[in-house]
Amino acid sequence: MNRREAVTQVAWMVGGILSAPTLQAMNRWEQIATSGTPLNRMGSFLNETQHAIMARVSDLIIPHTDTPGALDVGVPDFIEVMLRDCYKKSAQDLFLEGLGNLDRKGFLTLSPDQQTATLKQVEADALKNSNVSFWQLIKEQTLLGYFTSEAGIKASFDYQPIPGRFEAIKIKPGQKDFMYGNQA
Amino acid sequence: MNLNIKAEKAQTYDAIVVGSGMTGGWAAKELTEKGLNVLVLERGYEIKHVEDYKTAFKDPWEFEHRGKISNVAAEEHYASMYFSAKEGSQYLYTNDKENPYIQKRPFNWIRAYHTGGKSLLWGKHTYRWNREDFMANAKQGLGIDWPIRYEELVPWYKYVEKFVGISGQAEGLAVLPDSTFLPPMAMTAPEIHLKKSVAQKLNRPIIMGRVAHLTKPQPWHSALGRATCQFRNRCSRGCPFGAYFSSLAATLPAARQTTRLTVIHNAIVKEILLDDKGQKAKGVRVIDQNTMEVREFYAKIIFLNAGTIGSTSILMNSKSARFPNGLGNDSDQLGRNLMDHHLSVGARADIEGFEDDYYFGARPGSLYIPRFRNWGNDKRDYLRGFGYQGGASRTDYSRGATEPGFGADFKKKMAQPGPWKINLSGFGEVLPNPNNRFTLSEDQKDKWGLPQVVFDADFGENELAMRKDIMNDGAEMLEAAGFKNVVAYDNPVAHMGLGIHEMGTARMGKDPKTSVLNKFNQVHACKNVFVTDGSFMVSSSNVNPSLTYMALTARAANYAVEQLKAHNL
Repeated sequence: MNRREAVTQVAWMVGGILSAPTLQAMNRWEQIATSGTPLNRMGSFLNETQHAIMARVSDLIIPHTDTPGALDVGVPDFIEVMLRDCYKKSAQDLFLEGLGNLDRKGFLTLSPDQQTATLKQVEADALKNSNVSFWQLIKEQTLLGYFTSEAGIKASFDYQPIPGRFEAIKIKPGQKDFMYGNQA
Repeated sequence: MNLNIKAEKAQTYDAIVVGSGMTGGWAAKELTEKGLNVLVLERGYEIKHVEDYKTAFKDPWEFEHRGKISNVAAEEHYASMYFSAKEGSQYLYTNDKENPYIQKRPFNWIRAYHTGGKSLLWGKHTYRWNREDFMANAKQGLGIDWPIRYEELVPWYKYVEKFVGISGQAEGLAVLPDSTFLPPMAMTAPEIHLKKSVAQKLNRPIIMGRVAHLTKPQPWHSALGRATCQFRNRCSRGCPFGAYFSSLAATLPAARQTTRLTVIHNAIVKEILLDDKGQKAKGVRVIDQNTMEVREFYAKIIFLNAGTIGSTSILMNSKSARFPNGLGNDSDQLGRNLMDHHLSVGARADIEGFEDDYYFGARPGSLYIPRFRNWGNDKRDYLRGFGYQGGASRTDYSRGATEPGFGADFKKKMAQPGPWKINLSGFGEVLPNPNNRFTLSEDQKDKWGLPQVVFDADFGENELAMRKDIMNDGAEMLEAAGFKNVVAYDNPVAHMGLGIHEMGTARMGKDPKTSVLNKFNQVHACKNVFVTDGSFMVSSSNVNPSLTYMALTARAANYAVEQLKAHNL
């Protein structure tokens, strides 16, 4: 069994249908693997610094609290996939520009409080105009990656894949949002 | 010679039905139940009910892009991108890149080449037409008159409604005649408030949408293995409970129970074959979409149910000495009067309050606001009317992308139900216009050597004038309910095809000089060919069309069998 067959089989076992982008990614992986080029993260779109900044920002958006956070459920790897597969060039560029701006501020060397203050400034700037911003993109992807992950869903929502009925109800104190898993 | 006759016999059926979608399923059911041996030819691949709904039970985290469509998939599905294609349902949409067509003017031709066709993807809103809908053309001198009236269709509406199973409430409205209903779905608290406000201040009824979902299955539904709606609203991935009506869940199983049904997949019908005298159809020529093998099948009658564009294309491709411009095209009407519904226009608002109100379950239905313009004493500077679908729901975590905040408190807040929002989305009637048409390309072919479809159609002044009312009236109703930040919208890229209600192009009529089909959906000049999908439509009404297609298909099938028995075909 070659590597590609192995990956395909694993993908089937976990219930996946292989999309065209996945198959392409596997091809790339195979090429890299057979050419002996070192592989840091499979299918990574960002370089190491960019990835680290992105991961830290997602961690600050959805931190680990009494429930898992963005890093616990693999949001950074998810964002890599989305950047690579689903973003148009203009959005990719906007994302890279946003990471570049944070890098120039020495983001990774700042204290947690300074990092939070920096992001508050980024947010204030983003809210000043209605165009899509780096801040909106990274928040959108962090929220999507976290709140559709298995651990994120189970820790956050009342997950109801088969509700069985529809009725108007009153909210109870501490009511979690229901999640039906139909967004896809 | 003997061998040929033998082979021909093996490929001979009483009836051939081209297409297994919404109307093909009905034709198959009716014809088999009336004793005919029926061959259904489906151009796409086979999907088996339940077992091939491969995403139906997937959880969100099992999707690589968590439901979002990738750039590669978006490129492949350029026609269906706007509304329909999500990661979970993408497999039910045809790859447009592999099935190209030509757009003289923009047209979204959304296809579902597999068993069940678009009956697996439809919105399921199910409405009867009203009396006026069948008379408007004649009264206004537009297009041609319908050869049938509402009263003739009532028994057929009733007949198909019982089998389909439609959730809804009887309202006694002339503009939207009642069907036979299963229990309606519930409204949310702000929806009930909107209904009351609009009734009081504007005297317009707002009703619960009538949708083809089993809210209380009847014995004849259960007998086919169909179960109650589970309110997952994952319909677009295929319903493993068979709760919404589709060919796969309902009509094809019913046809199969007769043991007189044969379905052949991957069979693209190239043309209809005529007998030696050239006046009557004797069968069809088919190309296997995978092997390219060409085969012929024979039958006494042929039902075309390949979808509006598909069926008319087959007629256009069926050229002979008698029909040099396509089968049944003596009137030059084939391909003309292409219609759809125009949409992506309406109004939305934020709802303050109702913080204590919520709902359990995901409702695969919506509110419906029946047509009120150009109805009764109302007169506008355009013709016909529109309705709305819509509803109020609470926002989810995704609101956080544009809401300020991040960190621990933000995370907690995003796991709670968000504020309510409401949207009313219009569906407007499109007038018949002979210059809105499609033709077949002279030189561009698809990979099976069949000419590509060329679309040349767009909305006209009447539709554009109506859209202003759809925006303003929608906003007015939301304001009547006191909702905030009301925004009226009109998507400027909305063009034909996006309604996925493409219809017309082989219209029925009384006069063979101006129509392709007679009042029983028979090709005027080739009586054993029936066309009963959307292509027969003479006008479009503003309500969703499937129920009317189904009723006319059942009626045509009944007539065809009567005529066969009387040796008239």
